[in-house]
Amino acid sequence: MEILKVNDLKKNYTTRFGGTQVQALKGVSFSVDAGEYVAIMGESGSGKTTLLNILAALDKASSGTVVLDGKDLSSVEESELAAFRRDNLGFVFQEFNLLDTFSLKDNILLPLVLSGKSISEMESRLAPIALSLGISEILTKFPYEVSGGQKQRAAAARALITQPKIILADEPTGALDSQSSSELLRVFSDMNRNGQTILMVTHSTDAASHANRVLFIRDGVVFHQIYRGGCTNEELYKKISDTLTMLRTGRNG
Amino acid sequence: MKRGFYRKIAWNNIKKNYRFFVPRILAEMGLLGCFYIAVTLALDERLREIKGGDYIPTFMAMGVAVLVILSSILMFYTNSFLMKQRKREFGVYNVLGMEKRHIGKVLLHEGLISDSVAIAGGIGVGILFYKLCSLLICKLLETDVIVGFYFITLKTILPSALFFVAVDLITYFFNRVSIARMKPVELLSSKSAGEKEPKVKWFLLVIGVLTLGSGYVIALTTKNPLQALGLFFVAVILVIIGTYFLFVSGSIFVLKALKKNGKYYYNKKHMPAVSGLLYRMKQNAVGLASIAILATGVLVMISTTVSLYTGMNNTLDRTYPEDIYLSADYNYGTGERDDSVAVPTDILEEAVRKAAEKNGVEIQYVNPEEYLFVSYYVQDNHLYAESELYAAMGNMEVMAGLREFFFITNDTYERLTGERFDLSGREIACCGISSASEKASDMTGTIYLHGCEYNVKNQFSDFPCSIAMLSNPFSTYGVVVSDQSALEEIYRNQRAAYGDFASKITSRICVKFADRKAAGAAFDSIRKDLREDLSAYVKSQKADPDYLAWCLDCVWDTRVAMLGMYATLLFLGILLGAVSMFATVLIIYYKQISEGYEDRERFQIMEKIGMSKEEVKKTINGQVLLVFFLPLVTAGVHLAFAYPMLKSMLNVFMLYSNRLFLDCALITYVVFALVYVLIYRGTSKTYYKIVH
Repeated sequence: MEILKVNDLKKNYTTRFGGTQVQALKGVSFSVDAGEYVAIMGESGSGKTTLLNILAALDKASSGTVVLDGKDLSSVEESELAAFRRDNLGFVFQEFNLLDTFSLKDNILLPLVLSGKSISEMESRLAPIALSLGISEILTKFPYEVSGGQKQRAAAARALITQPKIILADEPTGALDSQSSSELLRVFSDMNRNGQTILMVTHSTDAASHANRVLFIRDGVVFHQIYRGGCTNEELYKKISDTLTMLRTGRNG
Repeated sequence: MKRGFYRKIAWNNIKKNYRFFVPRILAEMGLLGCFYIAVTLALDERLREIKGGDYIPTFMAMGVAVLVILSSILMFYTNSFLMKQRKREFGVYNVLGMEKRHIGKVLLHEGLISDSVAIAGGIGVGILFYKLCSLLICKLLETDVIVGFYFITLKTILPSALFFVAVDLITYFFNRVSIARMKPVELLSSKSAGEKEPKVKWFLLVIGVLTLGSGYVIALTTKNPLQALGLFFVAVILVIIGTYFLFVSGSIFVLKALKKNGKYYYNKKHMPAVSGLLYRMKQNAVGLASIAILATGVLVMISTTVSLYTGMNNTLDRTYPEDIYLSADYNYGTGERDDSVAVPTDILEEAVRKAAEKNGVEIQYVNPEEYLFVSYYVQDNHLYAESELYAAMGNMEVMAGLREFFFITNDTYERLTGERFDLSGREIACCGISSASEKASDMTGTIYLHGCEYNVKNQFSDFPCSIAMLSNPFSTYGVVVSDQSALEEIYRNQRAAYGDFASKITSRICVKFADRKAAGAAFDSIRKDLREDLSAYVKSQKADPDYLAWCLDCVWDTRVAMLGMYATLLFLGILLGAVSMFATVLIIYYKQISEGYEDRERFQIMEKIGMSKEEVKKTINGQVLLVFFLPLVTAGVHLAFAYPMLKSMLNVFMLYSNRLFLDCALITYVVFALVYVLIYRGTSKTYYKIVH
């Protein structure tokens, strides 16, 4: 079942001086099925951040449509946008974006508090998620008291707790050391195995090799994609590296 | 390095950090301006020549003392704020290869530029507004304005400028030392380190509750106005300590309790605000407490001085039911104690009537009155002459138990009221006079005085002697004795007890003119005629007119003295009120900016995880509103508790119209709140700009 459908998405920027138009996205189309784990790769400047911002409803496309679970994002009223994002999307950021003034527990519960859930429901949702992410013991701690990996797992818990249709992750391993990275990627794989749809933007080959499918973006279009098929992570890793090499040489040559 | 290099960097820094520098420069200008005005007013000899202007130097000197303290605190506060915000900047310089002494040079040049602008500007502001202030003070003193020129002299410019130069120099050296002690790594990362959630400081909380509580208790329970004068400052200090401690610890206590309450805390409306405040309180409690105290100070100063000034005519009408009170005696120069002779009241009356007629002023009535005025220490039903007690008790102890007594005869009472009591021998009638005193009910049964027993036969209210209106803050009683011999008995006994400090039986007349204003205009001439007339009488009694001693208490002289005092006080209140207002604005402004920078990140995150712009705005508003209006509410509560004590202190100044003071206090509070809201709105704009 298709949960996200992106159709011929274009985004133009007008530069500050002179008014020349820059096309960041030149017609991106792809779709994500429910329960899929998709990685989007591309070099900086390829348009992947622009794409993610549009998917997250933080930015508007110049043309084209994004349909999430049958609902066109552009049809959501401005005033309902915040609530829509809160209820349908989960976010994991490179810089964690946890609030220093909240304990991890309060950080995780914040989206539920914002949508006005009861305390009992909050607690019953929190317990299993915290357990599966291995942060039950440190819930009362504050972000500055725990490691980067723990912070990012708390951020993942915050994304999961609203039971979103899709989790959008923006370079989630970007600020982590390799040990914490692989732990987090394991967490993501577990989440996905439990049926959670994940869309991750990254330029880490290792991170991408955990996904079911990898999309490559270059110069504002989807340039190539790889399906996992029956590959192990290592085999997928190899495939991705080859593709990246090919992309690079293709450009140079 | 090239000449002018540091100056260029300094200039650039000032431009870049204008949000911090400009308010500091403006504040220094304002403070210096006020300082200059106070110093100049104290030294301007032209003002001393105005009627009532003799209070100006003393009160302005007090004002200067307060300004010295306030300005130093504020300059240090703004400086430390500036340095804190710029730590990172200095760290970058250091990393880029500037040595600390180079940074010091940059600081020096920054200081030279900003301080010279501030000091020159401040003197300019002072000179400009001095004219306005001297006009205002003349207006308050109800004199024709001094014409002409500005009063500009190095005598007042130099001390003002030098004081601020000194403050600037001290802050500069302070900054150099703190830069010398810093480590660049710490500086660069100083902001990213997370802050611990504040803990409740129980010790401070307990002390805060105790000090604030006892301050309030003192304010509420002190009934004796004289004690109020002394205890007021004790109460003020207790309340100040209590305010600081409770802002620091009490706020966190309350917020933590709210946080513990899950039902309350896990709510969209409360959660961001409570946790935000918890952190904000840690950094801002001291600033907020300072605002609360400054605000209370402004309110107290303005409301009391305004009510004294505006209530003056009312006070005069009350304390002077008649226009003049005249008594006179003369002696033959022998130096003996019994040498002096009182001028009989009918002679006094005749002299007044003659002088009035000569000057074309109509007299409404003349009342002669005769009384003996003595103070006694009261314990149960015993009255002791105070001199008997000083040996046995402490000075203050005696003072606190001292009461004043007006003795008049039944005849005098009858003449003044048309009624008389049925008294004989040592029977007396009693009455409590001053508004603060316990009414006469505590003078019952038998009173022991100078070894004699007096029987209180009657109680009454409204003592008819007008002198009693002038009674001081001691509790005062009026006593009617049976006849002249009884009065003279008391007179003799107290003379034996007090010796050289004994009171005399005073005979005097109270004169009411038909038109107070007209009589006032002619009074200098009336006074001269009276003096001549009485001198002639003394001469006719074969005594030297030089030995005439007269006591002429007139409403107009008192008015000049009161006006001088109250007008100067009011002016001082306005000046210090303005300075405190400055200080409040400054603290609020700096708080807003620093919080803006800190909150920016937090609100960006909240928007990212699904809080709408509206919700963010609401949260900011609620949080900021609470933080802002907490000091205002605190000031209101402080003022409410101080109210009874202030009222009784105003009684010392013979302001008995409580209604007036209540109105003044309320109006001052409302006006202050309005100004505060304006400040709040102005600075909020800057805050929103930073956050978004």
